[in-house]
Amino acid sequence: MSSPGSDESPAIAVDGLELTYSDGTRAVDGVDMTVPRGEFFGFLGPNGAGKTTTIKVLATLLSPTAGEVTVNGFDVRSDPRKVRESIGYMAQETSIDPELTAAENVRFACEAYGVPRGQRADRVDELLDLVDLGDVADKRAEEFSGGMKKRLDAATALVHRPPLVFLDEPTTGLDPKARNRLWEYFRRINDRGTTIFLTTQYLEEADQLCDRLAVILDGGIVAEGSPAELKREVGGEVLEVHFEGGDGGDARSADADRGDRADGDSGDDRERAAEIAREFDPFTGATVEVTDDGISVTAATAREHGTDLLVALRDAGLTVTGFNVRAPTLDDVFLAITGEEVETERMDAGREEVQA
Amino acid sequence: MSDATGDETADEARADGGTTAPTADPSAAETAAAGVAGEGGGRSSNTFLGDVWVNFKRWNVKAVRNPFVLVVSLVQPVIFLVLFTEVFGNVAGRAVSEGLPGVSYETYLVPAIAIQVSLAAAVTSGIGLVNDIENGMFEKVLVSPMNRTAVFLGKTAAEVFRIAIQVAIILGLGVLLGAEIETGVVGAAAIVATGIVFSLWFIALSNSLAVLTRDQESTIIGANLLQFPLLFLSSAFLPLETLPDWIQTFARLNPVTYGVDTARALMLDRDVMTVVEVSRFDGAMNTVVPGFAVLLGLAVAFGSVAVFLLSRASSSDVQ
Repeated sequence: MSSPGSDESPAIAVDGLELTYSDGTRAVDGVDMTVPRGEFFGFLGPNGAGKTTTIKVLATLLSPTAGEVTVNGFDVRSDPRKVRESIGYMAQETSIDPELTAAENVRFACEAYGVPRGQRADRVDELLDLVDLGDVADKRAEEFSGGMKKRLDAATALVHRPPLVFLDEPTTGLDPKARNRLWEYFRRINDRGTTIFLTTQYLEEADQLCDRLAVILDGGIVAEGSPAELKREVGGEVLEVHFEGGDGGDARSADADRGDRADGDSGDDRERAAEIAREFDPFTGATVEVTDDGISVTAATAREHGTDLLVALRDAGLTVTGFNVRAPTLDDVFLAITGEEVETERMDAGREEVQA
Repeated sequence: MSDATGDETADEARADGGTTAPTADPSAAETAAAGVAGEGGGRSSNTFLGDVWVNFKRWNVKAVRNPFVLVVSLVQPVIFLVLFTEVFGNVAGRAVSEGLPGVSYETYLVPAIAIQVSLAAAVTSGIGLVNDIENGMFEKVLVSPMNRTAVFLGKTAAEVFRIAIQVAIILGLGVLLGAEIETGVVGAAAIVATGIVFSLWFIALSNSLAVLTRDQESTIIGANLLQFPLLFLSSAFLPLETLPDWIQTFARLNPVTYGVDTARALMLDRDVMTVVEVSRFDGAMNTVVPGFAVLLGLAVAFGSVAVFLLSRASSSDVQ
């Protein structure tokens, strides 16, 4: 057992965390996790899964209903102030004072976190340079774009050189350029040895940045591992087949709006194709999904036997307009984990419709 | 703008002295030791006073950045001061001089306007809190190691500081318009103090509204809606004897009456308390002492509610 606050204790240790809001909503229900120091850890989940609630418990903004939570070796319940001193926290909503300049925002954070007086000026310059806001240091934050505000917010979370930083959906609502830029800063911070706990809905983001991931669904962790391990769990590669009369020629990810797939003839075609793929012998254990413009088959032998399926589809009178075999992305992982229950319900409903 | 960069001022060095500076003032260092991790190293060792000062500074910078708010909360009372003295001066002056011979309406009115200023300025306290909640600074401050009491003390201190300046401006204007402060500079300072003590209950109320509504417009409307009935149903503009019975009854329960009477007693150097008869003290003190007592009691009562609501908001609704 390591002593509180010592370097051996993990950055985050959570055991049996439960959190119930006063209105009875059980937001987090039995979460266990350990994040070692220096790791770039990703916390994934759909909206309302309990990501923000968990991060708020770790940042001492919410007090756990049950369970043991230590951050940097300090108990969040009995030692909240020491936890606060040792973490940086970037909330989901951009949190800066628009009436203050960029430099004043960072300086206020320096003062709030007790950065020694002699180091404040240097720290302000250093951090504003890190997030490329050095030349607008004396402009008021209200004049900034969304991306600039986010970067300023990130800078204020780092003033005290915390060994652990929480980033709650830091890139939500940003354009791709601004997002790439933020990623770059996060990588830089992590390279300096800072542990990062990131929540995100963007799987690409987690894939790009994180050493290890946990997926939370309905208040509990349902999968954990490195991005590569999680992708392996999907079980093989993904074969996407497009048919004539699909909604668009472009390959779309499988999660894109499957809601209206039932309309029109192409919907029937796709259903038929999916049925064929399901019964296709070389693909035992494959997952078959109907997408906007075709079907998507995940199978261990997708690459070897993909052409055989295409032939089978053509023999059944379906016009294939395109296909693509690719390695699974985290999107597939996410769907495989979080979409399963939803998916089966939806399929049952679909079958009833077909029978009626 | 000097506030923003006034980091090196002697004042701050004293208030913030415990912050890792080796030359720390011993009393500040003691506070630091009480509240802060010893083994936290040089990274973070805020003192309570340091936290108060940091927030005091931030809210003052914001006030200076937003001169519109400063001016607007002064303009309305100034308009009242000029309009009332000019329009009602003759009529009201007669009513006043029946009860208080030799007192001009200007002199009678200025203490009331001083109280109006602190009422109007106190409204903005809640607005500041709502803005902080909306732009995320509230949570940002909660997640920092700053002492939460110190955070709100610093904010309130900045507002009180502004109210003191505004009341002083009104007194200066009043003198220019012909009002007389019988008790001189000391009395003027005491009137400023009355304005401050009076503002506390309304600051607490507007912050409570802010926490409850979490909405800027509701807070402004709620606070403004109260402002005028409170002012008119009190001893602010006319002697209570000249007003209908129901207003007199309401005025006795109205905090504004106590604020205005106290300020007015200091202005006129007479016992003008309209509500309770106290004769244990000397002259104006028969008004000032009970007046302050009531205002402080109100501040504690409303302050407790605000503190309760704020601490509930700070810890969120968790079972």
